[in-house]
Amino acid sequence: MKLRGIISLVLHATRLLLSLLALWLSFGWRVRKARKAFEKELVKMGMAKKDAEKLSSWYSKLKNDIMQTVKSYIFARR
Amino acid sequence: MAEEKERKKEEEKEDVEELKELLSVVSKEVPALIKGIIASVFSEEAGRDMGKAAAAFYKELKEAGMPDDVAVKMTEGYISAFTSLGEVMKRAVSGRKGVEDKELEKEISKRIKEKLAEKGLAEKEEEEEGDEEED
Repeated sequence: MKLRGIISLVLHATRLLLSLLALWLSFGWRVRKARKAFEKELVKMGMAKKDAEKLSSWYSKLKNDIMQTVKSYIFARR
Repeated sequence: MAEEKERKKEEEKEDVEELKELLSVVSKEVPALIKGIIASVFSEEAGRDMGKAAAAFYKELKEAGMPDDVAVKMTEGYISAFTSLGEVMKRAVSGRKGVEDKELEKEISKRIKEKLAEKGLAEKEEEEEGDEEED
């Protein structure tokens, strides 16, 4: 009974870690998709592509900020 | 003695069961929660909506006769409101740093006041000396 409980615990913990890993891996892809959609709308309204790319750079900045915050939070806890 | 052992075993079993339940809920809910938060900002739909808002703003400026570079700069300022989300997160995570910043701010303003008071006194003394020389 106890062994079954421990196995179940390990399985749940593994599932949690795998889900978080998948989220982390898909984060960059999601950012790129959002950025492209954002640029597309701006270009549609007549903005130059160069300007649209410049404006959409805040997506990357925001992504970097979030990653940095998460990293510093994890390492500060250690 | 045997009863005590039995009771300990029961308690251990309950603890494992509780932890198991807790982890099963956490492993389902936490990733879903994070996924939802990320999707609210970083998804194709969210990007399109934000792009529409910024594009409408830019279009209005252009129609009002604003030069292209000024309109782009103003749109950039409009978008920067969203960028502050990163700053908010940073502050939320490092709550202690905020307290340190406030303490630093207090210390700086205290020092400035002290210096101003010293300077004010020095100026008064200089004025008084000047008056005495005139007399």
